Amino acid sequence: MTDDLTTLATHAGGTGEPIIECAGVEKWFGRFQALKGIDLTVGRQEVVVVIGPSGSGKSTLIRCINRLEEHDRGRIVVDGTELTNDVRKIAEVRREVGMVFQQFNLFPHLTVLDNVTLGLRKVRRWPRAKAVEVAREMLERVKIPEQAHKYPGQLSGGQQQRVAIARALAMQPKIMLFDEPTSALDPEMIAEVLDVMRELARSGMTMIVVTHEMGFAREVADRVVFMADGEIVEVGTPEHFFHDPVEERTKLFLRQIL
Amino acid sequence: MTAADVLTEPIGVPEPEPPSRDLTPRQWVRANLFSSPFNSALTVVIGLGAAYVLVRLARWAFVTADWAIVRVNLRLFMVGFFPVDQLWRLWAALYVLVVTSGLAAGALAEAARRVADGDAEPRPALPRRVLAALRRFWPAVVCVGVILSFTRTPGPTVGTVGLVAAGALAGAAGRRLPRRLQRWAWVLPIVGLIGALQVIVAGEGGVGWDRWGGLHLAVAATIAGTALAFPLGLLLALGRRSSLPALRLVSIVYIEAFRAVPLVTLLFLGGYMVGYLFPNTVDPPSFLVRAVIAVTLFEAAYIAEIVRGGLQAVPRGQYEAAQALGLSPVGVMRLVVLPQALRAVIPAMVGQFISLFKDTSLLTIIGFLELIEVTRIVAQQDAFRGQGLRPIALAFVGLVYWAGCSTMSRESRRLERRLGVGER
Repeated sequence: MTDDLTTLATHAGGTGEPIIECAGVEKWFGRFQALKGIDLTVGRQEVVVVIGPSGSGKSTLIRCINRLEEHDRGRIVVDGTELTNDVRKIAEVRREVGMVFQQFNLFPHLTVLDNVTLGLRKVRRWPRAKAVEVAREMLERVKIPEQAHKYPGQLSGGQQQRVAIARALAMQPKIMLFDEPTSALDPEMIAEVLDVMRELARSGMTMIVVTHEMGFAREVADRVVFMADGEIVEVGTPEHFFHDPVEERTKLFLRQIL
Repeated sequence: MTAADVLTEPIGVPEPEPPSRDLTPRQWVRANLFSSPFNSALTVVIGLGAAYVLVRLARWAFVTADWAIVRVNLRLFMVGFFPVDQLWRLWAALYVLVVTSGLAAGALAEAARRVADGDAEPRPALPRRVLAALRRFWPAVVCVGVILSFTRTPGPTVGTVGLVAAGALAGAAGRRLPRRLQRWAWVLPIVGLIGALQVIVAGEGGVGWDRWGGLHLAVAATIAGTALAFPLGLLLALGRRSSLPALRLVSIVYIEAFRAVPLVTLLFLGGYMVGYLFPNTVDPPSFLVRAVIAVTLFEAAYIAEIVRGGLQAVPRGQYEAAQALGLSPVGVMRLVVLPQALRAVIPAMVGQFISLFKDTSLLTIIGFLELIEVTRIVAQQDAFRGQGLRPIALAFVGLVYWAGCSTMSRESRRLERRLGVGER
């Protein structure tokens, strides 16, 4: 079984050409080991959904991929760039990787439009007019073009999360990371955010999504990764994963949530 | 109209009006002042007490008190021993300041209006703007009015009216500045301050800092202390949260040391002891420079702690989101964290500047002729000695301090509202 798992976890889906490679990634918080040797390869245009009980290291894993957390051992290579302490390498990776957070983390002192254009203007150093053009396009894509001049505090949770997605997309990343994007939302707003993510997946974006939305995982994921206690327990296609899980821990988890 | 619109359109059913909460004046008085026998009694007692105090105060101010002590010495209160034939320099400096800050205010207001684009309201007509300005600055207007009422020549009044007009014109000009220049408007007040200082001290007959006094000294020391202490305090706050241990240690030691010492002590040290540190061949810096340095070092420690409070109030997620966008550490601070942190501490920060303004009265202990010292001196003049007139002079100085402090605090509340502190 272990051999199968290794093959599945390290064999990229999507176009088959790997864009993210994690090998033997370990991470400690003080004496607590959050990641215990993660091997995972994600292919270009692949959608990977990471599920697992809380505290299993899902968020830590994707936060390592854009260096919001520093891994202690192992290798993480994103689109050919290995993450080390080199600040330039980190900046390079962050340019390629967009991130959406559970708590949205919009900048409350800026309008929606300024939130979305900030990266383009200050990181890419585009002139304002050009940035605004792209930003409006992105707001159109997440279906809230009319809110451009409001402040985040004036929007509903679902709208805020869609702005956060537009903000990340505006930078034209190759990879999008979603860290429980719907966990802080009221039920009626979850659908609008998932809709946007579904369309994004269909457009060919490479995505890693940490979520508890099993419906979304079943429908959109190319591969489902199940993590527990800092390890990848099982990897598989949604059909395999939800109908025919092998590992005891996976079965137990699925029984608890389904 | 699309089908969806028809569905959401109400079908002739009027929206229910929320119940009106407006009270007639009669109802208001009844609800707020006479709602129960106890409240009625309280209202009567407090009302009578307040009326008594007000009447006595008004009688004292307008009938009993002889304001001659202020009228005769008005110049001493305003500028200390500033040479009379050089007074034009102060007026010129005031004009420089008012014109530059007027230009900047106009330009910034126009820029803000443009950002708000769609939902900006049209500017009200001139009379309403004048009324709004009076409401906004009434403590300062009252104070300036009182001061001008003590003058014996029309000159100062003409000069003041000219100042207001110049400020208004500069504001209008600022609104019409080309957009490219408006972005640089924040430089103007700095240029204005340096220019004003030059006008006062430079050239033949220039009046050096050590001869400044009265209100002029208080305002100058406050502005200098604020302008210098703010950047230093900001750097210290960032240093205290830096990841470099050496920098952190230096900041912590500095902040804790200077917060542990009374300002008076620092002024003494600056005033009398710094001189010994200089070799005989070098002139030590002038008294006021030393005083301003002492005040700056002191204030910076407090401002650093205020800013640190603001930095701590910014959630981790803000840093992470900014980093994830690819912003550099400096960009994260400058564009995302500091704007939120500083906005959150405007009230505390202005409070610190207000207390700095009042603390300038401590300059008296190292021999400056500041406002409180003026009241002591004038009460000893031949014409006024031994008549218990110092309270009258102090009342006037109190009015001046009140006008300055309340203007600052009102402006800070306005700024808070503008920037939407407390929303979100």
